[in-house]
Amino acid sequence: MAATFAGASASGAQLRDNTLYSVGADFKGFDPADSGDTVSAAMISRVYEGLLEYAYLDHPYRAEPRLAEALPEVSADGLTYTFHLKKGVHFSDDLCFPSGKGREVTAEDFVYSFTRILNPKLESTGDWIFINHVAGAKEWVQAGNLTVKIPGFVAVDRYTLQIKIRQPYPQLIWVLTMPYAFVVPHEAIEYYGREFRRHPVGTGPYVLKDWRFNYRVEFVKNPTFSGQTYPATGELDDRAAGLLEDAGKPLPLLDRIVDYEISEFYTVWQMFLGGQLASTGISKDYFEKVINPQFELSDALQKRGVRLYKTPNMDLWYIAFNMKDPTIGDSTDPAVAAKHRKLRQAFASAIDVPTYCTVIHNNRDTPANTILPPGVAGYTTKPYAYQFDRQRAKKLIAEAGYPNGKDATGHPLRLTMISAGAGSTDARQQAEFFAEQLRAIGVDLVVQQLSFAEYLRREHDGEAQIVYAGWIIDYPDGQNFMQLLYGPNKAPGVNFCNYQNPEFDRLYEKVLTMQDCPERSALYAQMSDIAIADCPWALMTYSLSYGLFQPWFQNYKPHAFPYPNAKFYKVKPH
Amino acid sequence: MIAYILRRIISVAPIALGVLLVTFLLFRVIGGNPAYRIAGKNATPAKIAQISHARGYDLPYFLNFEKFPQQLFHAQFPRLARNILRGDFGESLTSKMRVSQLLRDGVLPSLCVTTPLFFIELILAVALALLAAYYRDTWIDRSLVVLAVMAMSISSLVYIMVAQYWLASEWRLFPVWGFEGPQYLILPVLIGTVAGTGGTLRFYRTVMLDEMYQDYVRTARAKGVSPAKILFSHVLRNALIPILTNVIVALPFLYTGSLLLESFFGIPGLGRLLVSAISNGDEDVIFAETFIGAVLFVLANTLTDIAYTWADPRIRIK
Amino acid sequence: MNDASTNRPESLWAIAWQQLRRKQIAMICLAILVAYAGIWLYAEGNFWSAKLRGVTPNYRISNYAIRNQPPSATHWLGTNYAGRDNVSQIVQGTRIAFEIALLTSCIVIPIGFALGALAGFFGRKIDTGIVYLYSVVGSVPGILLITAISYVVRGAVERSPAMQTVTRYADSGLLAVCIGMGFTGWVGLCRLIRAEYLKHRERQYVLAARAIGVRPAAIMFRHIAPNVAHLIIINFSLSFPGLILTEAVLSYLGVGIANEPSWGAIINDAKQRLWLGNWWELAGATAAMFFLVLALNLFGDALRDALDPKLRTAEAKTA
Repeated sequence: MAATFAGASASGAQLRDNTLYSVGADFKGFDPADSGDTVSAAMISRVYEGLLEYAYLDHPYRAEPRLAEALPEVSADGLTYTFHLKKGVHFSDDLCFPSGKGREVTAEDFVYSFTRILNPKLESTGDWIFINHVAGAKEWVQAGNLTVKIPGFVAVDRYTLQIKIRQPYPQLIWVLTMPYAFVVPHEAIEYYGREFRRHPVGTGPYVLKDWRFNYRVEFVKNPTFSGQTYPATGELDDRAAGLLEDAGKPLPLLDRIVDYEISEFYTVWQMFLGGQLASTGISKDYFEKVINPQFELSDALQKRGVRLYKTPNMDLWYIAFNMKDPTIGDSTDPAVAAKHRKLRQAFASAIDVPTYCTVIHNNRDTPANTILPPGVAGYTTKPYAYQFDRQRAKKLIAEAGYPNGKDATGHPLRLTMISAGAGSTDARQQAEFFAEQLRAIGVDLVVQQLSFAEYLRREHDGEAQIVYAGWIIDYPDGQNFMQLLYGPNKAPGVNFCNYQNPEFDRLYEKVLTMQDCPERSALYAQMSDIAIADCPWALMTYSLSYGLFQPWFQNYKPHAFPYPNAKFYKVKPH
Repeated sequence: MIAYILRRIISVAPIALGVLLVTFLLFRVIGGNPAYRIAGKNATPAKIAQISHARGYDLPYFLNFEKFPQQLFHAQFPRLARNILRGDFGESLTSKMRVSQLLRDGVLPSLCVTTPLFFIELILAVALALLAAYYRDTWIDRSLVVLAVMAMSISSLVYIMVAQYWLASEWRLFPVWGFEGPQYLILPVLIGTVAGTGGTLRFYRTVMLDEMYQDYVRTARAKGVSPAKILFSHVLRNALIPILTNVIVALPFLYTGSLLLESFFGIPGLGRLLVSAISNGDEDVIFAETFIGAVLFVLANTLTDIAYTWADPRIRIK
Repeated sequence: MNDASTNRPESLWAIAWQQLRRKQIAMICLAILVAYAGIWLYAEGNFWSAKLRGVTPNYRISNYAIRNQPPSATHWLGTNYAGRDNVSQIVQGTRIAFEIALLTSCIVIPIGFALGALAGFFGRKIDTGIVYLYSVVGSVPGILLITAISYVVRGAVERSPAMQTVTRYADSGLLAVCIGMGFTGWVGLCRLIRAEYLKHRERQYVLAARAIGVRPAAIMFRHIAPNVAHLIIINFSLSFPGLILTEAVLSYLGVGIANEPSWGAIINDAKQRLWLGNWWELAGATAAMFFLVLALNLFGDALRDALDPKLRTAEAKTA
């Protein structure tokens, strides 16, 4: 295996091993309770599974049963979900089981796994999926007595699981697809204790073979993986794209997966070109060499058969104004509040987002127009009220009390913004761009680039004046974004800009219990309009990920939640 | 003499604790509560408060006057100091793995790069310095000096970038990244040698020349001893003291690894660990690495002082 | 040559200059340094004139239409990612390099000298305390300390209005880096000065002064200080290159200078474009750094030899 990387072309070796080589940086471990970042979520999803998962090829996204036999039966009042589990699903063979053989999964295992996420000692980043919704969960956490059961999780019998919730929770189906809700065997946790993160024992298509921390992770096929076959249906274009060739075949198709933890894009690129990696993203600087202005691959790469894919990330990037800040925030005095609002609107109007997308991000992003990204019910194509318009920006800032951007002392108004990504070239260039845009209306914007840890802290303690932020959707429901502006979620919660609007809050509480329907989408649109008018955020972009794939890497289809999809991929001999 | 040695060894502890204090001040006191990082994306105030309490981040920093006198030291820094002295380095914030485990895993890769680098650089620098001293003031000597200084004047970043691009990627002479076998070490060690030997060579040459200008050398020449013999049996031996000092003091850096080489070439060593710890705000790793690094550094300095005293009793030590 | 009269400093410099003049390499290096200083002053002029007029300096004006272009008649080293002329970026980099050296020295020299003098002259408890202090500071890995300090400084800038006025004129990243390097760099100078004061304390002229009853402060600063002044010059000229090289590594780690084109920032940005075949940006910044560092090193060596040959192995003992 070492020979694979000694300089010259690697294709000879890859002909022999049915292996996918890819990259994932900063992998934290195999505990589903701590799967908040995309790399860990992907790794965990190879080894662990849950009740539901997304149908791979379907669009719009749809949850389908995985370890459950079918989608849940929901009681008439919407407060009890009953799942019937598939029989004969086993955990992988491991030393933690007395006989060394994996035990069958039961409803009790799910109760155990769900309860575990709520255990405060574990500090799971995923407790939010259950804590405010499941009956008795909050009280259980506060009481601190870990030996009693949570009333909301019931193992009715060996294969029947019930989840009882306090009020209708339309997002429950989605959160059950997340790695936080995957099933873990108590034997593994008791046996490995702290080392459980390095010794995953799940029901997934792969098992962990070797993990060298900060360097590489290796998976091999799980011999006891229970029957899942490649989907037979998909979208209209999928058959033509060859995505249904393997319909009906048992999964997983790959024997082995190896992930390298490389953080330098430069290195990843070189390895991709050398055939040592199956896929890569594209950094800004290489973009123009790789993608021509018509958004097709350059000839050199096309000749090699490399394929280009675009994944909409279903995210929103925005500039958040701290509503508690004395210069730009909200105020109890309506006249002052109005002035500050104009200042924020001026800021939003001053930024040339289209040029930002084309130049700084090579059209890998599109300008954002509403709070929700495209693809989510409730998204409208209404133009953004404060899109780039320098004249309007100058007018608004004068009305805000800063003619030509100058404050009372005659100096340009000084504003400070923080962003993450210290050390990255992209972040630096982005910072310069913003400063330039604001300078054009007379404002002196200072952008501080911080390390991610420092950025998180400053963002949450509500002290930063302006924050460049982004939010990637957790599940395909607009509520996931709207919660960021809900008053009670103020700092240090997710509404770190401290936006308070009673009307918005009232509508939020209303949509919280509504299932997906046209009325709800209309309400989302209304909420978006309210928030845009108040301008606690200057909307920036929706981002796209571009990826390059080797010709011998097949069955790939972009997905916003691609975590378990490695089981569908195939590597053709080449 | 023994008393002196004991005194110096005892002084290691206060210095190491001082180092811990400085790092603690900078990262915890000024850097702030790590609970935000642990709580994650969807954190609620209740969760952050609960994490802070469980891990003791809500305790006072240095002394707990409220709990005086029984629990005066129930505060953040005393607890940290006590744990570290007991060998409990805590857990990484990001990966939740034991820091001692992380350190143990990272030592070998770091040493795999720094040890060969160290020896090659030492031998090369001594040999070239001897050459320069022997042919002093000739074109050989002058060009060696100029080459050495030129090598020192290029940023290591540039060496690494250019080498990785040309030698590894374009000409495929070496692997680009990774730690799969000995051949992965060749390029990092090569770059490290080229970047580092210049400075060492310059220093060793200076040391040797100083010896050569001493009176006893002139006497030896006058007596007719051959230049080569003077060089090896007299000058080299006496120059060994400052050279050895330099060598011993550099030893702790073998352990901490080379930040840049490890980052660019994918060696999963302690240098790379520290870099990601800094950007992730992973305090326990930072505290542990700096503490151990400081202990080794101070021990190395102590060793050289003792060696000096033993080698030359005339040196007055304060 | 071991004359202890207070006339010595003048003749020391004159003698040193005579020695330097005879060495060809030293004179060439001096010429290079003067040239760089000239570029620096020009760049400063550029920066301040734009600042005082409140306009964007010409080197910061972006023109995305002509970005990433190869060298041509109008742009000798091509353009960077924002369409700015690379030569002007590198010229401004010179300014940043000199500013770093001067600002950092403003911290290193007073602290290093004061603490070294106090430790060496008074000895005993004060000496033990100061030795402890520099042992601790010297044992923390430099990069770590500088990184942490620069976070602190940046945080302070946001919160204090006084700092905000200061950063109108000086980039906060620059301040952060200089303060960081300053508070780690004083250790070397302190050790050197301390050793010298220890030696001079026992000299005839000092003992005589004390016998007469001259106050300690006067002895330290009026009598001994001139005899160690040359050390400060040498230390400065030999640490200058180190500061520039460190700034490049700091940029890589993300704690460098953000809004101004330092050489470190240019080198790190150029890394991405190497694959595109754009080697000129990297080459230009590296060459600019190279010649300055080389000249400083060679000239610094010659200066040290001229002023005090015994210093050559002063670095040997580190404790």
